[in-house]
Amino acid sequence: MAGTRPSGGGRQGEDPGDPGRGHGDRAGRESEPDYRFTLANERTFLAWIRTALALVAGAVAVLHLVPLDWSGPARLTVGLALTVLAVVITAYAPMRWLQVQRLMRRGAPLPLSALPVVTTVGVALVCGAVLVGNFWG
Amino acid sequence: MSGRDPGLQPERTLLSWQRTVIVLVAVALLYVRDPFQDGGEPGPGALVRVAVALVPIGAAAAAMVHVRRRWRATGHGAHDDATGQAPAPLARGWVRVLVGAATAVFAVAVAVSALTG
Repeated sequence: MAGTRPSGGGRQGEDPGDPGRGHGDRAGRESEPDYRFTLANERTFLAWIRTALALVAGAVAVLHLVPLDWSGPARLTVGLALTVLAVVITAYAPMRWLQVQRLMRRGAPLPLSALPVVTTVGVALVCGAVLVGNFWG
Repeated sequence: MSGRDPGLQPERTLLSWQRTVIVLVAVALLYVRDPFQDGGEPGPGALVRVAVALVPIGAAAAAMVHVRRRWRATGHGAHDDATGQAPAPLARGWVRVLVGAATAVFAVAVAVSALTG
């Protein structure tokens, strides 16, 4: 496993037979990033999609499947909150893919995104609402 | 170095696609399950559910067929014809759009069908 790993320094091409791809150019021109970074970006996109699907699964369970003796509004609030969060994530995932891909082509640093925090807070709020719904609903 | 990535990045990406497809199908089946579970005759609502579930299942099937086909065409992720390196990204852009859109449409349909009945 030694040797060829993506370094943190941006783009880096290991294949000496391929001069046009992967090497960062100092002239500020754009070039395709190292294929490993592109694949990592693709996997990140897929991980966001799976996150959204897990939230949809929760919405299906609350809205359609599990017989809960909550009040109607409590159930709808939790289910719709999960759905909204899932839709926000599915809208964000392709945009983030594009943004990261564009910045990597330029060799620019990648900014942090707010969505992990938004997702965490959203899921925590839903968990709180479920607790309230179970014990006081 | 005959093109095999020592970090198995293409393989990991292929497995990531497979996980995503499996989750898509699983959530769709979860949604369809409800009307049949108490043994009664499925009403017209069940047909609507099956129709809605076909959106994520169709997207999952298209994505899997596309990714497998591309996997084979690139020598199991070893080399893309255009670049000579591993295929990156593994799937074409329209597959990402399709899977994302199918997830969003399905999420909205789950909420709407809960609101309307």
